[in-house]
Amino acid sequence: MQQLIFGLANGSIYALMALAIGMVSSTTGIVNFAHASVVMMGAMVSWWMMVIYGLSYLPALIIAIVVSIVLNIVMYEACVKKLGNLQHNVGWIITLFGASIILDNTARMVFGTEPQAFPYLFEGKMVTIGDANILLHELMMITIAIVIGIVYQTVIKKTRFGRAVRAVAFRPSTAELMGIKSEYIILLCFAMAGAVAAVGGVLIAPITFASYTMTLSIGLKGFAAAVLGGFGNAKGAFIGGLSLGIIESFISIFIPAGIKDSISFVIMIVVIIFLPGGILSAKIFNKNGFASEKV
Amino acid sequence: MLKVENLTIAYGKTEVVHHVSFDIKQGSVVTVVGANGAGKSTILNTLVGLHRAKEGTILYKGEDITKTTPDKLVRKGIRLVPEGRQIFAEHSVEENMLLGAYAEKDAKKIHDRMDEMFDRFPILKERRKQLGGTLSGGEQQMLAIARALMTGPELLILDEPSLGLAPIIVADVFKLLTEIKKTGVTIMLVEQMVDNALSISDYAYVLETGNVVFSGTRDEVKNSDDIVKAYLGNI
Repeated sequence: MQQLIFGLANGSIYALMALAIGMVSSTTGIVNFAHASVVMMGAMVSWWMMVIYGLSYLPALIIAIVVSIVLNIVMYEACVKKLGNLQHNVGWIITLFGASIILDNTARMVFGTEPQAFPYLFEGKMVTIGDANILLHELMMITIAIVIGIVYQTVIKKTRFGRAVRAVAFRPSTAELMGIKSEYIILLCFAMAGAVAAVGGVLIAPITFASYTMTLSIGLKGFAAAVLGGFGNAKGAFIGGLSLGIIESFISIFIPAGIKDSISFVIMIVVIIFLPGGILSAKIFNKNGFASEKV
Repeated sequence: MLKVENLTIAYGKTEVVHHVSFDIKQGSVVTVVGANGAGKSTILNTLVGLHRAKEGTILYKGEDITKTTPDKLVRKGIRLVPEGRQIFAEHSVEENMLLGAYAEKDAKKIHDRMDEMFDRFPILKERRKQLGGTLSGGEQQMLAIARALMTGPELLILDEPSLGLAPIIVADVFKLLTEIKKTGVTIMLVEQMVDNALSISDYAYVLETGNVVFSGTRDEVKNSDDIVKAYLGNI
């Protein structure tokens, strides 16, 4: 039970990262390699607010969200928009990696190299379910992640804005013919991804400790989760993230902790080879499905 | 209504349209014909703001729209039905039409227009919950036109509406365009099916490698033996 909750909690962070990576990639077709750094920034900023300025959890989180949104918008304007057509220009691979290195090193300069303890939600209170002691914080991680996922999915499926996002994902120029400002929609997706990054950062920080390297391995697992679930798909992000978290957590009972991290990447490689579209692209999920032609 | 002067368009350094001028009168149907690669689609994409002109001006109702972005042009009443229809494959028919009305804020107007479209295209009403990508080519063309009409445009531009459709469906499309013309919408058309297009047109331009080589009324084009032989085949 403890393993399951722990796996789900970690998995929900992977899912949040995969979701945010998907938000950006669905509309632009690019993969935001700097996403993990924004997650870290979100965590560090809120730590700073709580410890240095003595703010409580919620205001600190809100400031972190604002900072992450601004970071992501600046990143879009500076590293992505200037490149023009992203299908023909793969410069974003370099610019976004560069942005991530800049963010990491800025964090190192501003916040120092020492990993900092980050407070748990509810002061680390435990609940007992069966024979397992479970941190309320972990339950909150799962709940918040799932709520974000459901809200995002609902917005995307049911609202005017969501329709526009999907239209831009289909083809930005066609969306513009409908009167949609594709660039603006893409910018909003970057902003939303920033907000989700900050929430993820604050939730994971008590477990990893807050430091400029806190998202090194988590960040990569976020990508792994996105690949597992298929890019740009909220359901897929959660299936990918949660299953990765659970597999990791159970497998760590049997194998040494040192090679635990490699498991997710082995899984990722296998999935890329056999199901390039992610788990959800498997035939059993698409009996009556309609495979759209992406032109 | 639309006046294009000295329009030059380039992709990078390659000029594909050279100093083209033409105008479209309110309420008329104008066809642009020409071989593949003559620059027809490029001109249309430039008119709706998807591509930037290198030189020249585009005037719409006397206003310079050469540098206006596509989303603003939609709000000004210019709509393009793009080549190959470009229906949003994973949006339902209804959602495609709602996207068509994206520029319209008034919910009641959207609702009324939707009803109007469903009256005109009963097949779309029948399939309103179906995904756009599951429609047949003809249905997709109807949807593409209905989608563009959702904002009540004054100038409707169509890029090869007959592309890939069965002849009987093509006839339907052109009949539909005649009906749309009757409602006062100005229509600009690029077509390979020249005889069909000319039959509903008031005026035609013939384009060759980025230059207008001939222009005239429908009858003038039909009576010009050279033009007919060179560009239009047997009609």
